[in-house]
Amino acid sequence: MADNWTQSVVCRYFKNGACREGNNCRYRHAQVNRNDANINETVTTPTNSPGYIVTCRFFKQGICKFGNQCRFSHSTGTADNDVTQTNAIENSASGQHTANTLKNKKADKRTAEDWVKAPEFIPTAVSPVAGSSSTDVTSASGTSMSTSKPVSYAQAVNPSGQASSPSLEPLCPYAEATGICRNLNCTYLHGDICELCSRAVLHPHNEELRKKHTNACVKQHEADMELSFAIQRSKEKSCGVCFETIMEKSSREQRFGILPNCNHCFCLTCIRKWRQAKQFDNKIIRACPECRIPSDFVCPSMYWVDTKEEKEKLIRDYKGALSTKDCKYFNKGRGKCPFGNKCFYLHALPDGTKKDVGPPVRQRRNTADADIDILHQLILWDFLDERDDRWMYLDLEDIPFFSDSDDSDWSDYELSFD
Amino acid sequence: MANIAAQRIKREFKEVIKSEEIAKCAIKVELVNDSLTELKGEIAGPPDTPYEGGNFVLEIKVPETYPFNPPKVRFITKIWHPNISSVTGAICLDILKDQWQAAAMTLRTVLLSLQALLSAAEPDDPQDAVVAKQYKEHPEMFRQTATHWTFVYAGGPAKMPDLDDKIRRLTDMGIEEHNARVALSSYNWDLERATEHCLFS
Repeated sequence: MADNWTQSVVCRYFKNGACREGNNCRYRHAQVNRNDANINETVTTPTNSPGYIVTCRFFKQGICKFGNQCRFSHSTGTADNDVTQTNAIENSASGQHTANTLKNKKADKRTAEDWVKAPEFIPTAVSPVAGSSSTDVTSASGTSMSTSKPVSYAQAVNPSGQASSPSLEPLCPYAEATGICRNLNCTYLHGDICELCSRAVLHPHNEELRKKHTNACVKQHEADMELSFAIQRSKEKSCGVCFETIMEKSSREQRFGILPNCNHCFCLTCIRKWRQAKQFDNKIIRACPECRIPSDFVCPSMYWVDTKEEKEKLIRDYKGALSTKDCKYFNKGRGKCPFGNKCFYLHALPDGTKKDVGPPVRQRRNTADADIDILHQLILWDFLDERDDRWMYLDLEDIPFFSDSDDSDWSDYELSFD
Repeated sequence: MANIAAQRIKREFKEVIKSEEIAKCAIKVELVNDSLTELKGEIAGPPDTPYEGGNFVLEIKVPETYPFNPPKVRFITKIWHPNISSVTGAICLDILKDQWQAAAMTLRTVLLSLQALLSAAEPDDPQDAVVAKQYKEHPEMFRQTATHWTFVYAGGPAKMPDLDDKIRRLTDMGIEEHNARVALSSYNWDLERATEHCLFS
């Protein structure tokens, strides 16, 4: 700031709390000595204050939101209690929000007494929280001149230092949601900007809430990153059977069918269709149509998985999702599940207790009869699965990542137990 | 035709058109009708085989369930090969049957596989038993016969004058040329037995 004559003139915009130049203003952004720096409580102790002999008419109705920053007189003459109340709610700009009530009361009382010296309404003056430090007036105003940022009306009229536990004060919902609060006289707290989500949601005084939000934000950010990576690696993948780019298919078909034992990429529709083919050997259809490595089941997924870890997690999640659903063969104890305790679905009795039904019934594949048995079962199950598919869609939609259950592939799961 | 089949055949068709092999005139594929259900393939006889220099035309029928089922392929051009019927052109190749892999195989790989089949016959898994027998018992006779067939039906370069002579002897008797050739080929070019076969069976 150039030290020329303008420095001696108080900026009139600043005076009204609306100087756009901020620290670069050529005029003086002086603190009118409202902070009594000698006393640790920075209750407003105005020195020069013309024209608040006029009683504030809002105060009379008990609704003045400027509190003791009001440029009009807040005095009913007798009602000391009223003033105290007002002050308790909207205490002055104080660095001591943790101050005990005793101090507050004292301050209030003082304010009430010193109403004559109430400050002129100059909003920025309230911003320096450091005002509580016991520096002399000039240096206090000097530091605040260089450090204070232009503050909004909202901050001015509802300064950070709230008497009754500021950490519980709610944040302005508009500022929190959109970052824009159009209400210049907003009495709510305006949070600090969160670096991750760039919204004004960080509570200025509640460390716990701040941490909570930051953690949530970091987590959200990580999830977003993961998702965008997943999309990135899935984007170009095409199905080996229909040759189409899976992410470009119709939304219903935009799903991957992950084979646990090899890394070939198929859309769920195609790989299921392949595994249901009737014209080939079971050995052929249970194998990957590209590399012939057999897999016991197909895991549906919204995204492609590259690494072993991702795949293991996906399959774990998938099995986890299935294990909360009742097995329709076991049917809460009424039926018999051919997969036994290898079944991925839940085997629980109606009262909720889980039941171990023992290992699956082994299929003897050596004899021709057993082969026919298996064949019959397969056909029957395929039919059941087809029929149940719609029901599955409705039921499993709340499970993230899997947009449906991959029931149809259990039909061939059994054959792997040997 | 199912959408997926049509889409895939279109892509595979383009793949063949763009492939290196077509540049070398080794394989070729053409559309027969607009519906993509039927295609015409062509493969060149691989070098150092009796089929060298010949061009073999194939009929490719794409089933409704393609690619979950293999395409149906047969030779239109007559060919003398243990795994290909000399009468119908039917092919015995595992990948066109139970070993079909939906994801790994395309028109291009099928054509290349057939080309490979021409250079490496599997007489133990024959389609044409007569040819397979000759292939195993009289390899030289098989080679000559195959070369002759390639010349006659697939535009091969190598002429077999003595074999032609034998055929002419039979056609002079009023026997249709192809029948004469089949008979002679089947009887290892034993003129007497072929004549007997043609006249009395």
